[in-house]
Amino acid sequence: MLIVEDEFLIAIDLKLLLQRRGWSVLGPATTVKEALALLDDELPAVAILHVTLKDGSVTLVAEALRARQVPFVVASAYSRPELIGGDVLAGAPSVGKPTEEHRLLAVLENAVRS
Amino acid sequence: MNLEDLYRLLRNGHVEAQGIVDTVPDPLLVLDQNLYVRTASRAFFTTFKVTRDETIGQHLYELGNQQWDIPELRRLLEEVIPKSTAVVDYEVEHDFPSIGRRTMLVSAHRLFHPDNISRSLLLSIVDATERRQHEAEKDVLLGELRHRMKNLLGLVQAIARQTTAAGHSGEEYRDAFLGRFNALVQAHDAAYSQVGEADLQEVLQRTLEPYSPTGVLVESGPTVSLTSGQIMSLSLILHELATNGIKYGALSTPTGQIRVHWEVEEASAPSLRLVWQESGGPPVAPPVSSGFGTQLIEFAVSRELGGRVELNYAPAGLVVEIVAPLGSVS
Repeated sequence: MLIVEDEFLIAIDLKLLLQRRGWSVLGPATTVKEALALLDDELPAVAILHVTLKDGSVTLVAEALRARQVPFVVASAYSRPELIGGDVLAGAPSVGKPTEEHRLLAVLENAVRS
Repeated sequence: MNLEDLYRLLRNGHVEAQGIVDTVPDPLLVLDQNLYVRTASRAFFTTFKVTRDETIGQHLYELGNQQWDIPELRRLLEEVIPKSTAVVDYEVEHDFPSIGRRTMLVSAHRLFHPDNISRSLLLSIVDATERRQHEAEKDVLLGELRHRMKNLLGLVQAIARQTTAAGHSGEEYRDAFLGRFNALVQAHDAAYSQVGEADLQEVLQRTLEPYSPTGVLVESGPTVSLTSGQIMSLSLILHELATNGIKYGALSTPTGQIRVHWEVEEASAPSLRLVWQESGGPPVAPPVSSGFGTQLIEFAVSRELGGRVELNYAPAGLVVEIVAPLGSVS
């Protein structure tokens, strides 16, 4: 799975948490550029996206994922991330922020299955 | 009383009544039952930049190039008013030719008459454009604040979750968690309490002094200004190094010492080389697995500072070397 998150403490937390649960983690990418470069090398089964990154909103990453049919979930403190990240984020499952572990795992597994 | 006295009395009464109307700061209109203007207040003329002559006696919808012929207002006057005695703060947003786009709060009351036979309307108009703008700005600000708070709670959650609990007592976990929590609070304070930048020397001393006033020696070095983001990362990195030093390294013995020194390397772009050097502590061995602390240091240096870090577990003491570009760090 791919983690796109620019807040480094949260990025490490997500990575360690998901690795402990048996996920193989790509990233964490902290910029749009880095995330797109990672996608060129390897396609994850699912991605978790923070909405605002250091070099802009995550929109381009979400569009790249959609084009490659990789499901993604959104981890954002914004209640309506699509207002910032564009329509591509509308309707994407949200894991909230702060991100509760059980909800995160359930939403991710659900996204991979669907 | 002769006719002249009566006239004077009536005139004085009228002048006083008009004076009251003209003193009210918000525009007022009195309309007859067919919506023709009977009276208007001074504020109406000044606010909408119209004269008395082009106002009094005109139909409301014909006023000022039909600028009051607004569908919302028509609805208010023709449908709402006849069924109720008063409408308060009916919001009308409209592009007025003379004053531009405005948000007006229109209130309409049936004009008071002692015999309750009045069919005239008193229309008062309050320009709420600026108030609405302030409210919108405040909403944006509050939204941003809520967003930042949630982010901060996310950081606290991250350190709570990643502070090792397995194999530790509740007290140990609490102390370790609170240590990181306090580091986060202080890093946040240091990074955002002051406007602009802070000096590296100051950040090092302020961050490290509480751990050991005597065991940590911060040598003086060249002036380096740090941005908020750099201060934040560096403070958290230093906390991880210091607590590690207290638990396993030089600060776990009374004789141990930590030297912190730095230099600025002027290559094509200037970079900072910061060295953390422990000595006099127990023999050092590399950790068996890389935990949250190590990951934090490596991630913060590579992503936040845009540099690289080397952790050298030399037997004589841990040496950490951080090299990071100065100036425009993304």
